[in-house]
Amino acid sequence: MAPPLLEPETLRRLETLALQVRRAVTGQLGGERRSARRGRSVEFADFRNYTPGDDFRLIDWNAYARLDRFMLRLFVAEEELPLSIFVDLSGSMDWGTPNKALVARQLAGAIAYVALNALDRVRLTVFADAPTSGGAPYRGRRAAAELFARLQSFPVGGVTDYTRLTWPIGRQRPGMSVLISDGLGPLSIDPAIAALQRARQEGAVLQLLAPQEISPDWSGDARLKDAESGVEREFTATPVTRASYLKALAERGREIEEAAHRRGLRFARLSTDQPLEDMVSRTLRQVGLLA
Amino acid sequence: MTFLAPAAAILGLTLPAILALYFLRIRRPTRIVPALHLWPDQIRDRQANVPWQRLRPGWLLLLQLLAAAALVTAAIQPALPASATLARHSIVLLDASASMQATDVSPSRFVEAKRQIGAIIDQLGPDDRMTLIAVAPTSRIVTSSIGNRDALHHALEAVTPSNGSADLSGALALASGLTRAGDDARAYLFSDGIVDPLRAAGDGLPFPVEYHRIGVSGENVGLTSLSVRTSAQSRAATLHVQNFGQQLRTVAIEWRADGRLLDARSVSLKGGEAQDLTFPVPADATAVSARTDSGDIFALDNSATAVARTPRAFSVVLVTPGNVFLEQALRLRTDLKVDVVAPSAYRPGSGYALTVFDRYLPATLPVSPMIVIDPPTGSALAGGTAIGVGKVRASDAGDPLLANVDLQDVHVARSQDLRNSSFGRTLLTSLQTPLVLVREEPYRQALFGFDLHESDLPLRIAFPILVQNLSEWMLPSSVPSHSVQPDEPVTIVPEAGATSLSVTRPDGSRRSLPTGSLATFGDTDQTGVYTVDQVISGKTDRSWFAVNLFATSISQLKPPDRLTLPPTRISGAVHAAHHGELEIWPWIALAALGLIAAEWLAFHRGL
Repeated sequence: MAPPLLEPETLRRLETLALQVRRAVTGQLGGERRSARRGRSVEFADFRNYTPGDDFRLIDWNAYARLDRFMLRLFVAEEELPLSIFVDLSGSMDWGTPNKALVARQLAGAIAYVALNALDRVRLTVFADAPTSGGAPYRGRRAAAELFARLQSFPVGGVTDYTRLTWPIGRQRPGMSVLISDGLGPLSIDPAIAALQRARQEGAVLQLLAPQEISPDWSGDARLKDAESGVEREFTATPVTRASYLKALAERGREIEEAAHRRGLRFARLSTDQPLEDMVSRTLRQVGLLA
Repeated sequence: MTFLAPAAAILGLTLPAILALYFLRIRRPTRIVPALHLWPDQIRDRQANVPWQRLRPGWLLLLQLLAAAALVTAAIQPALPASATLARHSIVLLDASASMQATDVSPSRFVEAKRQIGAIIDQLGPDDRMTLIAVAPTSRIVTSSIGNRDALHHALEAVTPSNGSADLSGALALASGLTRAGDDARAYLFSDGIVDPLRAAGDGLPFPVEYHRIGVSGENVGLTSLSVRTSAQSRAATLHVQNFGQQLRTVAIEWRADGRLLDARSVSLKGGEAQDLTFPVPADATAVSARTDSGDIFALDNSATAVARTPRAFSVVLVTPGNVFLEQALRLRTDLKVDVVAPSAYRPGSGYALTVFDRYLPATLPVSPMIVIDPPTGSALAGGTAIGVGKVRASDAGDPLLANVDLQDVHVARSQDLRNSSFGRTLLTSLQTPLVLVREEPYRQALFGFDLHESDLPLRIAFPILVQNLSEWMLPSSVPSHSVQPDEPVTIVPEAGATSLSVTRPDGSRRSLPTGSLATFGDTDQTGVYTVDQVISGKTDRSWFAVNLFATSISQLKPPDRLTLPPTRISGAVHAAHHGELEIWPWIALAALGLIAAEWLAFHRGL
């Protein structure tokens, strides 16, 4: 049996986090987000812990009397936050120690869990050379297990093609999107980021790199093989070529960051050797994706 | 172009070897990278990944091939025809005389000559022979080598200039001895032309001589003599200063006694002008010296040194009824202490170094040098009956004892007949009888057969010179009293009973000499005062002599444009000179080094 994507302890800590939305959203279903729409459903959906910033009018005082803690009553009628998570599972992500694809799945699962915990609607899309839908939107904390299983079921491989990601992005209703990728495909990530802006998505672009590609630790003669295309080339690593590579990597990262900021998106660069809890509770809070 | 080491061409195999290395497969570990396009498109050596695949050109390959080609080219030692015309046997005559130390060409004439000779050595072919001869007071063959340029360069580097003159005749004689008739030989004389007068060279030189003039200027002020005169009243030194150049020069002259500065004068001399300066000499001075600060092109004649200390005096006794001429002649020599006694007062064995008997002879002759003049009839050395004599002549005109003795107007009225005397060899003679006899054994002694008063000899200048010559022959100074020229051997006469003899040179170095007989000291290349120490009965007896250049022929530094050299006796057929070879491989090796550096740089730049 495959190990769980996220440990229970990690999940418990994620319950204290919430996605931070800069503007009011319009969802198809109710949620805990204050909606631009009027009216509220009376259909009870779930409880969850109160976190600062929640609408205190939704506090279930009976539950407080019983449990001596603030709980929010969540109603279906409340408007949900549509969250779309795009996970890069191209060939270049199956690389590094810790493996980038594994960490990308965990990171997507963690963000999705935070959203599901807030009754937000989560749509999952993985992509490489073509986008693949992760199925119907997930909603409610109970859907987390299914989402995790779905995340783990996708194979890794193929050449990254960000242009083909524009179509599923364009279908999104205004909401939040998180794009997780190493951004190292042969083509620019800019079309995908532009599509997010056109689809009125707020959210973040998370560039995930392995420590071995941030700081290559080898030198000498080698036959380099591209993880995505399988193209091979002979190469001699010298201090000069290493410096040239690092410069190209930094240039690519700067392009992604500038494109994200230009489109009103958050950007974070993450290393796979960074603990997952550190990523979500520190880095993603620093960039304002989570609160 | 010729190649001095064509066998080294086998090293050219390194070029296909380098190419083969590029062809041959190199095993590289496969590394999967997330984004190949981020890595620069370059490899170090562009090796093909399968054997014998098409060669892919690259900067590194090109530089490596060029460097290898340059190294191989350097190894086979290509040489270009040089401009100089060389014979199969090049005889290089390097003037190593004092005048070559002049600095009118930088850094000196001698160094410039060596530089020019070095250029000829560089053009020698592998079969060419070169003989290097240093032209000095005693010329010598420095080295002779066939094709070994390094040995020639080393030998040339070791030659140093002397402080003496240039005996070119001797050098040419040495060179002539090295060649045979029909040899393809040529001599190159690198000199400032200031050489000793050439002696006759028989029927000519067996090779042509090229004169390479070194030096340009003759502007020089020199000190050409310094002598100390002692009179009854005082002691004074006379210094001769001469401007050998063409321009007016003003020089300051420092006068020192034993290193103490006593006087300083400024002297202005027009071109070619000379001046005598007189300086006082302190009574206690051992040596006096003069030095100019002229800062001219020749430093060797800018100082002069003389010994001021009176030499050790010899005691001489003149036994005579009265002979003013003889007495005065003996007293001319300052290191003789002359006692005049009447024959009746003479006591044998008084410890005199020289005894002069005038018209008297004791029964027992002294065991020491002695001059006997007109011995009385019946005495041991008396000759036959007096006979009339006319003109006086030398028995051997080249006899050193008659040096500078002019017998032109010397006559003797009467003399004892010495024809049957067994005293010794004849020094002066006449048609009738020998007049003066000398002998070496048992002691140096002389016998005059005539009374001086019966001759006009005492009235002639020849007389004091003859007495001087005889007394110096009998009582030689232990060290020379006159200034010695550099590299001139000095005869030192050890005192009787001396147990050790040593000479301390001006630079402080010390040489020991044997004490048994006359010692010849040859290390007089330095100018200055030499100290001679003799230990006699535990006491050190010290004397001095001075070495100075004092050669106007050398101080006259202007190099002649042409040098009259002995004629050459060679046939035209022998004169088959060829062009030398100019090696260019060092430059090619340097280029190879540059290419290797460029290849290293290209590698690190990742080209």
